[in-house]
This record gives sequence, C-alpha cells and structure tokens, in this order.
Amino acid sequence: MTASIIPLEARKIAQRFGRKVVLRAVDLELQAGEVVGLIGANGAGKTTLFSILTGLMQPDSGSLRLGGSFLEDLDLGARARLAYVAHGVQLYPGLSARENLELYAALRAAAGASTLASAEVLARFGLAEAAEGRVSAFSRGMGQRLALARAVAGAPELLILDEPFTALDRAGRELLVEVLAEERARGAAVLLSSHDHAMLVRIADRVVSLERGVIAGEVRRDDASELGEGSFAARAAALWSGAEATEG
Amino acid sequence: MGLWRQTWLLFASELRQELRSFEVVATAAFYSLVMLALFALSLGVLPRDAQVAAAPGALWLSVAFVGALTLTRVFDREREADTLRALLCAPVQRLAIYFAKGALVLVVLAVAVAVLVPGLALLFPAASALLERPWLTAGLVLLGCIGYVAVGTLFAAGLATSGGKNVLIAVILYPLTTPVLMLNLVATRALLEHHPDVNAYLGRLAAVDVILVGVGAWLFESLLVGAVGTRRRRA
Repeated sequence: MTASIIPLEARKIAQRFGRKVVLRAVDLELQAGEVVGLIGANGAGKTTLFSILTGLMQPDSGSLRLGGSFLEDLDLGARARLAYVAHGVQLYPGLSARENLELYAALRAAAGASTLASAEVLARFGLAEAAEGRVSAFSRGMGQRLALARAVAGAPELLILDEPFTALDRAGRELLVEVLAEERARGAAVLLSSHDHAMLVRIADRVVSLERGVIAGEVRRDDASELGEGSFAARAAALWSGAEATEG
Repeated sequence: MGLWRQTWLLFASELRQELRSFEVVATAAFYSLVMLALFALSLGVLPRDAQVAAAPGALWLSVAFVGALTLTRVFDREREADTLRALLCAPVQRLAIYFAKGALVLVVLAVAVAVLVPGLALLFPAASALLERPWLTAGLVLLGCIGYVAVGTLFAAGLATSGGKNVLIAVILYPLTTPVLMLNLVATRALLEHHPDVNAYLGRLAAVDVILVGVGAWLFESLLVGAVGTRRRRA
C-alpha cells in the first residue's frame, strides 16, 4: 500500500539562478488537515519553491521529504496524492473541459489511483454547462476553475496552489474557500500563495512569509485566537506589510 | 502495463487534438510538397546516375526539415499551454511522455514521407525502386524515422521545459541527428542501387534504433527535471 505523503518537511532548501539567490535556506513543514498561506513580494521565490516542492525542479541543496520519504523515491501511487495548480492553468486548449478531466482521470487510473467522476467535479466547480466546450474558448476564470477541479478530483493528500484566486470572480473565490475548507476537513494539507490578503486570512490556519530567500515570519490562527477576534488578520496584515516592503 | 496504457492515453489525446486542427499534419504535408517542387526545379534534369545519388539526399533532407518543424510545433503547443509541466506533476511515467510524443511525431513524418516517396520516385525515374519494392521502402523509411524521432523528441522536450528558445531545436537537432540521417541515406542509396545486402542495412538501422530509443528513454527524465545527481543533493 502506498504510504502517505504527509507531512511535508522541507529543510534548508536553496536555489539560485546564475548569480541570483532566490532561496537561501527555506524550512517549511505542512501537516495533515492544515491550510498554510505563503506570502511574499513579487520575485520572492514562491513559485520557485512550489516547483521544488512538486518535483518540477531540483534544489541546489536541501532536503525534501513527503511522508518521511524523499520526493524522488516516491512511486506513482504516492505522486498521485500530490496535486499542484500552477499560476497558469496548464490545460489542453484543443480538448473540452470534460476531456481534460477524463484524460487525467485515465492517467491516474493507469497509475492505480482513483478520481472523482468528471461530471460531479465539473458540477461542483460550476462548469457543468461548459463541460463540452473547448478550453481554448474558456475565460481565464473558467480555466482556473477547471484547473482547480482537476486538482481536487484526485482527492489529494497534499494540495499546492500558486495564486489560486487569480481571475476568479466573487462566486469563484467563495467557492474556492469552501472547497479548501472541505479539503482541510478531509485531512489534506494545503499550501497556497496569494496576494489576496482577505481571502487568505479567511481560509489559512497559518500564514508564513517568504522574504530574502527564507521563511521570515509566521502567524498562526490558534495563537491569535487567544488575543481576541480579528487578531489573526491583523497580525497577518503586519506580516504582509513586512513581506511586501522587501519587494524590489 | 501502466506505462503502455499511459503512453496510449497521451498519444490518443495528442492525435485527437491534431485531428481537430490538422495544424501540424497539414504543415508537414505542404512543406513536403514545397521541397518536392524545389527539387524538381533544381535537380529534375540530372542524369540517371546522379539521380540515384540525389534522391536519398533529397528524401532525408526533407525529413530533417519537416521533422524539425514538427518537433518545434508539437512542443510549442506544450510550451504555450504549459501542459508538459502539468504532466510532470501528475502520476505519469516520464517514459510515457517520451513515447507518446515520439509516436505523434512519427505519425506526422509518416504523412510527410507518404508525400515525399512517391513524389521523388516521379521526379527521379532512377528512384523508381522506392515504389517497386514498397515493403522494403516502408521498412527502411520507418526505421530511419524512428532513429530521427528518438533523438529529436529527447532534445525538443528538454528545451520545452527549460525555457529554451525554439530556434535552439533546429540548432541542436541537426548536428545530433546527422549521423542517423547519414545512415538512412546510405541505406536508401543501397536500396536504389539494388544492393544484394540491402537487408543488412535494415538490420543496422534497427540496431541503431534500439540504441537510440534506449538512450533516449534513459536520458529523458534527466533532461526534463534534472534528476541526474539528485541523490547527491540531499542535505
């Protein structure tokens, strides 16, 4: 039986591109059933970190363990428990929404992983009527919904989202908050980055700040609750201000 | 079984998208016609002996150009939609991506060759052996294209995920595929000259294909995500 890929344990992850040091020594942990928001200025290295955490890029140094195993040692069954929604939707424009989902479902089935029925997932994300439409005709927001649907359809243990609120309308944002709450209740670990402070604070259990290549600060909802309602948002806002002050 | 199932799924998806647009196939076929027209104008009056020497070169030069065009466009689509990176995150065997992409490029080259071979046989009467021995020709051309595709798919995929510019596909591809193309050319000439050991040339092509596909499969993941040396990087 494929072992769980949670917790995620990243230790001293470092990455440079030429002379530019993007990540210096990032330490990050994710546990089951928590939503962690990652904030940082433009160019702070959030997307680079996500690429490393999902195996798209090898770090220059550092270690990454999922469920106690190194990422490169995970078999296909374990990889099926990881879902990543990148900043771009990464969908086949020549296929319909249903075909995009069914392709991934079939690929997962060949790897021994199950997937929710495409009709059910499309309906959940408000795309039932657009199921047969070509993705090339979708708006950016519809594409974002479909990308999120594809990620969630596999019931992942670890869900990594790079600015998922981008291009979503108000209904889409509310839907995503609902979905992430459901994922958390299901026991998934969720890591997401966003410049949408308000939405992030609504859903995250913890907000961490990436500055100058390291995790520079952290605010936990549990800590803030002892200080009264709204304190988590205020402390997250302070962390946000600090992170964005390092931009440029 | 999982590998071949995933290979088939990816190939079928690629083929479905191509059949809806015919973008790459139409371009390959049209480009092949253009090559034939140019060869007709420039080489059409060659004496018979020279035709036997020229026809193989014309065929494999055309395959090289059409192949580079096809590889560029096939992976351009992936780059534009960033779907290759999505596949790398999914529980998909990397080799399935390699074989599926290679199969698609091979299908497109087959369409191009289906235009080129009869066209060249018409242009160069001395090359009529290409049509007189159709199964031998088909086997030779198929084996030749497999070798080309094995190398081309490997490096085109690497460039697609590394952010390399499209022009690099051609710059890198031509020198790397030249040995394969030269072997194909020699084998084709042997066919046209009715060489008694032409089957031996097919055997050599098949052996080279096995090596190239094996090396390509071995290097594919490394080229995509830099897996080589990963274990040395653990803290």
